[in-house]
Amino acid sequence: MIFIAIVMGCILGAVIGIYAPMVPYTYSGYLAIAIIAALDSVFGGIASTLNKQFDLKVFVSGFFGNAILSMLLTYLGQKLNVDIYLAAIVVFVGRMFNNLAIIRRYYLQKWSNHKKKEAVEKVEQ
Amino acid sequence: MKKKQIAITLGIMCFVLTMCIAIQIRTVTNSNSTASQSFIDNGLRDEVLRWKEKYDNAYQELLASEKQLTQIREQATQNNTTANAKQEQIKKNNMLLGTVEVKGAGLEITLADNNAAGKGLIDPSGVLVHYNDLLQVVNALNNAGAEAISINGQRVITTTAITCEGNVIKVNGEKVSSPFAIKAIGSQGLLLGSMTMAGGYLDEIDDWVIVNVKTVDDIIIEKYNGIISYKYVKSK
Repeated sequence: MIFIAIVMGCILGAVIGIYAPMVPYTYSGYLAIAIIAALDSVFGGIASTLNKQFDLKVFVSGFFGNAILSMLLTYLGQKLNVDIYLAAIVVFVGRMFNNLAIIRRYYLQKWSNHKKKEAVEKVEQ
Repeated sequence: MKKKQIAITLGIMCFVLTMCIAIQIRTVTNSNSTASQSFIDNGLRDEVLRWKEKYDNAYQELLASEKQLTQIREQATQNNTTANAKQEQIKKNNMLLGTVEVKGAGLEITLADNNAAGKGLIDPSGVLVHYNDLLQVVNALNNAGAEAISINGQRVITTTAITCEGNVIKVNGEKVSSPFAIKAIGSQGLLLGSMTMAGGYLDEIDDWVIVNVKTVDDIIIEKYNGIISYKYVKSK
């Protein structure tokens, strides 16, 4: 159910994105950092769903809050001549790997449990 | 119920996310920048692209204000014969300077690199269109009384230079490349005759590059899109 929704969203988004107007190059840097932030939120959302700790409010506020905050930080960094966006990328990508590890472990666990069960059934037979 | 809600929210988020990614990818491919590993390169390229965008925006503004200026001028001189005459003079002068679009009957010449013939050659230089070819054609057109000439949208005016910069040709300082569409307004008979005559320049290079000459009754020649400025010349 959840994965069908995700896939549907991705396909619809890609189709509409192809026909949507382009952003000016000046702002494409901000969009890029917002994409990284949003990507992190989505992975976080999937991981927390698997852990049954999903909270809609936390998820939605994180999705938009992180994106907006990272864009503001990038803007501030440009004004101060410091590449703050690098810090944002490091944090987001690091968390993305963490969440991916959680997702991977969940499915690996499921798979090995399944195998064990099969083995036990075979022995019983 | 709760699972459904979660699914819908995640779906919407993914929708927004992929849409942003698709837009971003299109923007990046459109500005044809490939990310380099070096920060200096990236920064420089970023700056160039930003300036280019600014230039484009400023140019659009300039065009709009120019249009407005003409409108205001026309309105101001509507019921005044002397002013009207002056207005006509300004129009004519702008036409001669090349700062307005003009149209009329004339000739369209296309010169293109003969890529098919160049494939087997060790030195394909002979089958390419060089800046010299463009110069010769423009010269011949001017000699035949052309009143306005443009090469790939670059208007040929009094200060135009056609130069060879390594492997690109520049007209008015802007890069142009094959195929070259040379448009000229003038007497069609004279232009066509001087272009296609036996022993003429086009007749000579016809064997090497692709040449196509045709008369067109309604040619639009673009205006010069630079700024004509004189610093040292003073009227006597």
